Amino acid sequence: MPRALVIQLARLGDLVQSMLAITQLRVRHPETQLDLLCPSHLAEVGRLLPGIEKVLEWDGAAWQRRAMAAQQDLRAEHLAEVETVLMALAPDWYDYAYVLNQHRRALVAGSLLAREVKGPLLHGPLGEALTPWAAYVRDVAQRRLGQRVHLADAFCGLCGVSPPGHIIPLDPPAVRLPDDLEPIGKHGDRWIALIVGAGETERCVPTEVWRRWITSFLASTPQGRVVLVGTERERAAEIQSPLPPSALGRIWDTTGRTSLLQLAAILVRCHRVVGSDTGPLHLAAALGRPVIGWYFARARVHETGPYGVDHVVWQAEEMRGDAWPVDETVAAICEQGYRAPIGWTVWTSHCDTWGAYYAPVGQAAIAPREREALWHELEPALS
Amino acid sequence: MNYLAQNLEGLRTRYPALVQTTQENSGGLLTVVPSREGSPSATHEGRWVHSGYDPRKEAQAWAEAQLLEWKAGELGVVFGVGLLYHVEALIALKPQGAMLAVVVPHVAEFNDAASIRPMEAWINKVEWVWGTPVAMAEQLATQSAPLRFMTYGPAACLHAEVHRDLEVEVRRIAATKQGGRLHVAVVGPIYGGSLPIARHAVAALESLGHRVSWLDQSPHRASYDLFASGREPRHRLMMQSRFTDLLSLSVVTNLAEDPPDLVLALAQAPLNLAVLEHLRKKKFLTAMWFVENYRHLTYWQQLAGGYDHWFVIQQASCVDALTRAGARHVHYLPMAADPALHRPLGLTEAEQAEYGADVSFVGAGYANRRTVLPGWLSSDWSFKLWGNEWDGADDLASVLQRGGARIDTETCIKVFNATAVNLNLHSCAGDGLDPEADFVNPRTFELAACGAFQLVDERSLFPDLFAPKEMVRFNATADVPSLIRTWLADSSGRREIAAAGRRRVLAQHTYTHRMSELLAVIGMREPDRIGAMVRGDRNAGILGQRTDAPPELAALLRRFPPGQRVELKDVAAQIKANGAGRELAREELLILMLDSYRAETRDLV
Repeated sequence: MPRALVIQLARLGDLVQSMLAITQLRVRHPETQLDLLCPSHLAEVGRLLPGIEKVLEWDGAAWQRRAMAAQQDLRAEHLAEVETVLMALAPDWYDYAYVLNQHRRALVAGSLLAREVKGPLLHGPLGEALTPWAAYVRDVAQRRLGQRVHLADAFCGLCGVSPPGHIIPLDPPAVRLPDDLEPIGKHGDRWIALIVGAGETERCVPTEVWRRWITSFLASTPQGRVVLVGTERERAAEIQSPLPPSALGRIWDTTGRTSLLQLAAILVRCHRVVGSDTGPLHLAAALGRPVIGWYFARARVHETGPYGVDHVVWQAEEMRGDAWPVDETVAAICEQGYRAPIGWTVWTSHCDTWGAYYAPVGQAAIAPREREALWHELEPALS
Repeated sequence: MNYLAQNLEGLRTRYPALVQTTQENSGGLLTVVPSREGSPSATHEGRWVHSGYDPRKEAQAWAEAQLLEWKAGELGVVFGVGLLYHVEALIALKPQGAMLAVVVPHVAEFNDAASIRPMEAWINKVEWVWGTPVAMAEQLATQSAPLRFMTYGPAACLHAEVHRDLEVEVRRIAATKQGGRLHVAVVGPIYGGSLPIARHAVAALESLGHRVSWLDQSPHRASYDLFASGREPRHRLMMQSRFTDLLSLSVVTNLAEDPPDLVLALAQAPLNLAVLEHLRKKKFLTAMWFVENYRHLTYWQQLAGGYDHWFVIQQASCVDALTRAGARHVHYLPMAADPALHRPLGLTEAEQAEYGADVSFVGAGYANRRTVLPGWLSSDWSFKLWGNEWDGADDLASVLQRGGARIDTETCIKVFNATAVNLNLHSCAGDGLDPEADFVNPRTFELAACGAFQLVDERSLFPDLFAPKEMVRFNATADVPSLIRTWLADSSGRREIAAAGRRRVLAQHTYTHRMSELLAVIGMREPDRIGAMVRGDRNAGILGQRTDAPPELAALLRRFPPGQRVELKDVAAQIKANGAGRELAREELLILMLDSYRAETRDLV
C-alpha cells in the first residue's frame, strides 16, 4: 500500500485548515495510507482530522536543544542522534510527502522522510522556484488581496486536489471535561465562548474592551453565559475582576486548565465563539460552531477567515482609538442585524464549488469569478 | 593495614619515578582519623580534608557535581589529593571517553593516601601529574584533549599556590598555542579612560587573527552630554541612565545580528544587569575587563553577577570583593601597552623643543597630584605639566602646557619621547602617595613601551611586572627631587633602564599578551566552547580528521580551507550556496534541519 505523509508544522489554525486537503487526498487516493506530521503539542488535534491514520509528533523544542548542542561543536554524534530520532519517528520512507508550509524546515522534513515531495517548491528544499499555488499564496499574502482563494482551499491546490465544494465538519472529540465545567452549554440560553487572548500580543483585544463586551452581552441576554477560553489565565482574571454583580455565576473561566481536546469539547457546547485568536476560531469553525471574529493588526479576513458558511468577521480597515465592535457584535448575536463602527467592515462567509469565500454582509452571495478562473489557471487538470 | 606497597606496585611500570619518590618520602602530611562511618578520614592542621562523618558519601556528591560540566573527550584535571575518595568516586562516574588526571603537588600527601587506602582497582585509570608547576603544566599541555579543571576544595587549599602557579603556566602554554579564530564583540564605553584601552584590545584581538565586532559607543558622546544639560541633577541622572539603557539595547541588537563567541566589555560599557542576564539566558558568553580602581568606581557591585568572567587590574582584595558581590570567575589581568602606538619616536628639533623638557608629567589634576607636584618643581630643571582638570592649581600654572587642555595620545607619546625624566604618580583621593598602591596604571606600561625613562611611585604588584633594573620607583614624595637630580645627570643609565623596560613590555606586557591571556583563561574555564575554538579544534581540517567524522561530513568539511573555523551555520551556508537544484545528501539535509533551529536560538531582541 502506498504511504503518504502530510506535513503541517505551523500553528493550530493552519493544522485545522489542512483538514480539507487531507480529506480530498483521501478521496483522490483511497488506496494510500495518509499520515500526518505536526507539532507535538497539536498532535491530539491532528488525530481528530478525518482520513489520517497515524500522527507523527514533531518535537520542536527537542530539535532546538539539539541545534544548540551542535551549533558550535559540530560532531558526527549530533548527526547520528538526529538520524536516530528520525528513524524512531518514521522507520520506513514514505512514498510522498505533501508539504503545506513554505518554511524550509518543513521542506527539509519532507525530503528526509519521503522519496518524493509535493509542496511549495519545485526543485527541492533549496530551490527558489515556487509551485503555482505557492506563488499565489505568497502573492496574495504580500499584496493583501481581497476575494482570494481561501488558504484551506489553496492547501488543496498545493496537494494537487480540488476543494470539496461543501463543508466537512470535524467530529467533536470524546473527551471528559473537569466536573466543574461539565454544566457548560447544558442549560440556559446562548452560551458564548470568548477567546481571551491571541498568539501574538498585537492581536490581543484589550481586557477592558472584553469587559465592556461581556457587560453589554450579559445585559442584553438575561439568560446568556460567557465561557472564557484560552491559555491566558491572567488576562481572564483581569477581564473579570471589576465586573458588576449581575455577572456573578454567568461567567465560566476555563482558561489555562484545558487540553486542546477539552477546548474543542467546550467550543462545541457553545452557541457562538467570539474572539481574535484565529487558531481557536478555526477550530470552532471546523467543529461546526458559528464564529464571530475580530480581525485587526495583520489579520485579514480573506486570508484567515474561518472556513465554512455564516461565520462573521469584523475587519478593521483603519483602527481609530477605542472604536471596537462591542455593541455591534452583541447586537448580531441578539439577531438585531449587522453594523460596523467607523473604520471596520463586516464580512460573512459562503461556500461554493471552488471553496469558501467572504462577502460583505448584506450583499448577495455571488461567488467571485476570479476564484474559478484562478483554479482553471493554476490547476487545469483539476478543473 | 598499610596498602602502600601494593598500590605503588600497580604504578611502577608507568610512573617509576613517582613510585621511587613516594617510597623515599615518609608521608605524614595528613593526620588520619576514623570517620563516624568507620572509614578513614583525614585532617591537616586541625582542618578536615574529608568528611568526618562519611567521606565516601561526601566524595560521591562532589563527583556528581563535576559531572554537570565534564564532557566526553575532555581531560578532567583534579586539584586536591587528600585520601583520594573524590577521585575514586569520579572514576566510577566519569563519562564514556573522558580521561582523568590528578595533580600531586606533594608526594607526602600521596604517600598518606596510598598507605591508608586500597587503590589497585583504579590507580591505573588515572594520569598522575607531579613535579614542579612548570613540569606539571608541560605534562598537561602534551595532552591533546581539552582540560577541565576540577577542584576538591578541602584538599586543594593545602597547596593553593602550587595550583595557581600550575594554572598560570598552563595558560601561558595555551596562549602560545592559540590557533583558532574567534568572533569577539568588544563593547566600549561612551567616553573616558577605558575608551582607548577598548581600542587597543580590538587591535590586539585582530592581530591575533580573531574576528572583532567593535561596538563603539563613543559616537553617542554628544547625545550623552546633551542629556546632562538639565539644571536639575535628578533629571540629568535619569536622562543619562535611560540613554544608557537605550545603548544597552542597541548593543543587544548588534549582537543579535551577528552573534559573537564572546562579548568583551570594557569598564563603563553601557550594558545593564537586565541585558547581561538576558544574554546569559541566550547562552552568550560575556567578560568584563574592569580597568578601573575598584575602590573608586563601585558600579561593579551591581553588575558582578551579570558577567561570566571578570578581569581586574588589582589582586586579592579586589577579587574577593567581586566574588562576594556574586562574580563567578574573577582573574587578575594587568594593564599593558600597544607597541604599534606606544613606541620610540624620532622627533624633529621643533618637536623636541615643543614637547621636550628635563622633567614632565602627563595626567589629570587629581587631588594628590595637585599637592605633590609643586614640591617637584625646581630651578635646576625645566618642567612641563600636560593634561586637563588643573583649574585652580595656581602653583603649577607656570608649567601647565596648552592652558590645561586635554591632550591626545600622539601628543602624549611625543612628550614621553622628548622628556628626560617622566614622572608617573598614580592618582588617589588623598594628598600624597596612594596608600593602597595595588594597581599599576596604563601610563607605566606606555612610558616603558616608548623606551622613555620614568620615575614611578612604588606599587605592590611591581615585583610580578617589572624588575628594579627595568624601572626606577620611589616610596616617598620627598625622594623624588634627588632621584630627578641623579638621573638627569646619568643619560646612559636612563637609556639602559628605559631600554630594559621596553624589552620587558614587548616580551610580556602588550595588549596582545593580555588578550591572549584573557582568552586562555576563558578557554580553560570553558574548554568545550571558547577553549576548543582557541585551540583550533573547530577548524575544518581538525574536524574532518576526527575519527568519528562520517565520510559524508568529512566531505562537507573538505570544502573549507583547513585553517578556517567551521560551525554548524558555516556548513549550512555552504550547503545552501551549492545545494540549489541538486539532490541533497542525507547529511546535508540533517544539517539544514539543525540549522533552521539554530537560527532561532539567538532570537534576542
